[in-house]
Amino acid sequence: MSWYRHKVERDLARWQAAGWVGDAGAAAIRAELAARRSPFGIASVLAILGAVLFGFAAISFVASNWWAMSKLARLALLLATLWGCYGATALLLHRRLEAFAQAAVLAGVAVYGASIMLIAQMYHMEGNPPDAVLYWALGALLAAVLVPSNPALAATFVLLAVWTVYERGLGQHAHWAFLPAWAAAAAAAGWRGWRPGLHLAALALLVWLVPLGYLVLDRHAHWLVVLAGGAAAVAAATAGPAIDRRLPASAALFCYGLVTAFAGVYILQFIDPIVRYGRLGEVWSWRLMLLAALTLAMLLASMAWALRTSNRAALWLAYAAFALEVLGLYLKTFGSLLNTSLFFLVAAVIVSLLAWAAYRLHRRAAPAEAAA
Amino acid sequence: MTPLRRLLLSLAVVALAQTAVLAGMVADRTQLLRAGREIVLPVVPVDPRDLFRGEYVRLGYDIGRVPTRLLDGPAPARNAAFYVVLERKADGAWSPVKVSAAMPAETSPERIVLKGRTMHGGPFDDGGGTAWVRYGIESYFVPEGRGLELEKLARDRRISTLVAVDSGGNAAIKGLLIDGQLQYEKPLF
Repeated sequence: MSWYRHKVERDLARWQAAGWVGDAGAAAIRAELAARRSPFGIASVLAILGAVLFGFAAISFVASNWWAMSKLARLALLLATLWGCYGATALLLHRRLEAFAQAAVLAGVAVYGASIMLIAQMYHMEGNPPDAVLYWALGALLAAVLVPSNPALAATFVLLAVWTVYERGLGQHAHWAFLPAWAAAAAAAGWRGWRPGLHLAALALLVWLVPLGYLVLDRHAHWLVVLAGGAAAVAAATAGPAIDRRLPASAALFCYGLVTAFAGVYILQFIDPIVRYGRLGEVWSWRLMLLAALTLAMLLASMAWALRTSNRAALWLAYAAFALEVLGLYLKTFGSLLNTSLFFLVAAVIVSLLAWAAYRLHRRAAPAEAAA
Repeated sequence: MTPLRRLLLSLAVVALAQTAVLAGMVADRTQLLRAGREIVLPVVPVDPRDLFRGEYVRLGYDIGRVPTRLLDGPAPARNAAFYVVLERKADGAWSPVKVSAAMPAETSPERIVLKGRTMHGGPFDDGGGTAWVRYGIESYFVPEGRGLELEKLARDRRISTLVAVDSGGNAAIKGLLIDGQLQYEKPLF
């Protein structure tokens, strides 16, 4: 039973007992729920897994030597496999075997990538290796849009993330070229209205955005990441209804903004000092205290907002971030127990005061609601 | 258009576009190998421990070590391609005379421009006075079983590579020469 069905069943029993839903209505709702089929049948999962394995088989072929064949025979084999995959896609779609057809598209994209690598190996091409990943990603995007294929779109986001990590690893630059390529893929996800694709788009952007501070300005510009994430979260909070009218995404946007902003302040507090000075720096500093206070305020505000808007994901992310922040502060002040205990005392007082304020606000609001 | 025809057309466009990219890679390379200017570069031994990985030969060159003082103009960005001007000396050997971030115009027949990158994408000048440059001609696949033989020949400095260079400075290995005799020339296809 799906999680959603389980939840509705539980609520339905309560509503029925309260007399809000009649027996006929409840039966109809249950029948509708039972008639729903999960989009993830075992066949489609296995088909996709099969395609992934097929891709690995093709890629590991790169490592093996295939000297028995002439170059022309090898090229012919690659192209025949590529066309075979897309031919199989047509056949399977025609027979309405959607899941298998999607697996065939994914296999085609994998063969295309393997072919790029094999041809580069055959002709000893050693230019800029990340370029090959970009060509692969663009080929996957084309398949995603034209077929259309969600698995190919998912592959596009993974490849774009690999591309930017690879390119930055070699070039140590901001890699702005990522943005137009990402925007094209994100637009495809938006056009398809495919929610998991939009999540993948956000995650791919995070892969690019979070380390950006290391690569621009003085190479310690993590405040930029904090600002970008904060702006996204604030936009999601203030313009939520306006965003949701177009696409119900403000809750997710808030979460991604929160994660980005927290990653930025976390790097500023605990990682950048190591990169910069080769050590954690002095145990306490005004800068760290200020940043820690800012982080806690940010997380508490996020929790309050998450509670108000019933944004469960944001609430758990804020809890997790709070735990990470406290752990970071604890490790940083390790060995100086007095400072650690002082910090926790201050934090405890602040959080308790906020809890008291929230309680008072709630009490003031509750009678008004009762009167209305 | 019927849905089936639309589907077939879409899939054909995807397959054709991907085929075009692959064909472009091959065409680019065969054009370079067929029409590029030929130069011969002697192979110098690289670290013997990983000279051969199976049938995969690592080739070292004297021109792979470029004095950083040859840099003319602004330094190339990390992992960006730059251009090394080689000049043929009286003994016939090519050696670097100038490095620039942009493609230089060289018309002398005694000079040739090669596009290179630093070995691991690091900065061109790391303060050591020497840049380690790769030109895309540092590895070669040889038939099975010939690896050890070539390793010994490379140690004795008896191998050279025949390299094709196009007008954009791109280089590709056409074949290996042993004692000046062309031994491994690969067919274009």
